[in-house]
Amino acid sequence: MRDETIPTTLLDEVQHDLRPVRPLPAPSVRALLVLPIGIALITGLPLVWGLRHNIDQLPAWASWGLSGLEGLAGLLIVGAALAEAVPGRRLSGRAVALTLAAGALIPIAIMLATDWLLPATEAASVRVRFMIECFDQITVWAVPAVAVPAWLAARAWPERPAVAGAFYGLGTGVMADAGARLFCWVSSPLHMLISHGGAILAVTIAGAIAAVLIDRWRPRPATRPPASIEP
Amino acid sequence: MEGDRDRPGIDHADARDDDLVPLMIAYQAGRLDAFEALYRALADDVRRFFAASIADPSAALDLAQLTFLELHRARHTYRPPRPVRPWVFGIAVNVRRRHRREAASRARRETDAPDAMADPASPAPDVVGGVAVRRALEQLPASRRRAWILHHVHGFSFEEIGRQLGIGAGAAKLRSSRAMRGLRALLTGRDQGRDDDA
Repeated sequence: MRDETIPTTLLDEVQHDLRPVRPLPAPSVRALLVLPIGIALITGLPLVWGLRHNIDQLPAWASWGLSGLEGLAGLLIVGAALAEAVPGRRLSGRAVALTLAAGALIPIAIMLATDWLLPATEAASVRVRFMIECFDQITVWAVPAVAVPAWLAARAWPERPAVAGAFYGLGTGVMADAGARLFCWVSSPLHMLISHGGAILAVTIAGAIAAVLIDRWRPRPATRPPASIEP
Repeated sequence: MEGDRDRPGIDHADARDDDLVPLMIAYQAGRLDAFEALYRALADDVRRFFAASIADPSAALDLAQLTFLELHRARHTYRPPRPVRPWVFGIAVNVRRRHRREAASRARRETDAPDAMADPASPAPDVVGGVAVRRALEQLPASRRRAWILHHVHGFSFEEIGRQLGIGAGAAKLRSSRAMRGLRALLTGRDQGRDDDA
């Protein structure tokens, strides 16, 4: 037997706030709101720290071009996060794996291409310091930038907050790395993997943690008590 | 749109998603009748979803109701013409996840409390969740019972309970705490003590 009676408390709450709402724009459109953040990350780091001293030795497509490509990849990953964040739209396991693979492989491919075009290794005496500096700079810029996609994703209430958060953290980290490679002149795979890759990983984890915490703090709807617990 | 409402099958629990999309659009536009039709089409499925995964039938019913409240709050996140059911059940999954997290958190708090149900003579967990507690609850004064249920079953904070009952947070906490003491006394057979005046 179906019970078709709508509980009074529920009906009251709905009637109380029945204003028309505009559906959220598509994830790809919402991802465009993150575009200024991406541009700020790509241009801000080299503006603050200066362009790498050997940038003239790289063709434009390999310096600004590859950074733009990497930034675009980051933006697409943020778009995937915003799609994942909508209830009922969780990405398939394959799509999750592909997104993670893209987030890992695109920076690695760009790193290898840069190292092939212009190999540049730091002195052993400054290796660790350079690694720490690059790690710091990427995380210091990217972690606050995660706030914007985190807010956009939280508006939709993701089913898997950790996945959505990891995605927007990854996307933001990749965008920050696109800026970092314009000021960091070192192209050795060891430096890039440990320092830049480690920073992207850290921002990914930060995104996942942020999303889980936001999910926990999401308030319940304020209502009168449900009918079944009336004394 | 009134014609849509009277279309055969539109309110039926087996309504196809194609039928639900126009209802959802009308609901987003602020039409109450569209919400009512959606409720009639989906409530059974949502209740079944919770009944299959939540042991306590009354909690399952309340969670189903909470799902529609959350659905109302999140109605802007639905994007026509995507299927409606996956979106609704996505919200139900979120409600269930939050319920489980709150239940685990409550269980931890009660385990951590130095004397809460710590007596070896206190009832086993399966009894706590069942008939014994329900009967004991019925013997408590209504005001205390209500505060206790709102806090321990539904997870409301004392501030929220105070607002709902029109009392202060301190008074809500006192009522819940006295109900807990009364419950413990009823379930273990020990004297309830001097708090019958609240």
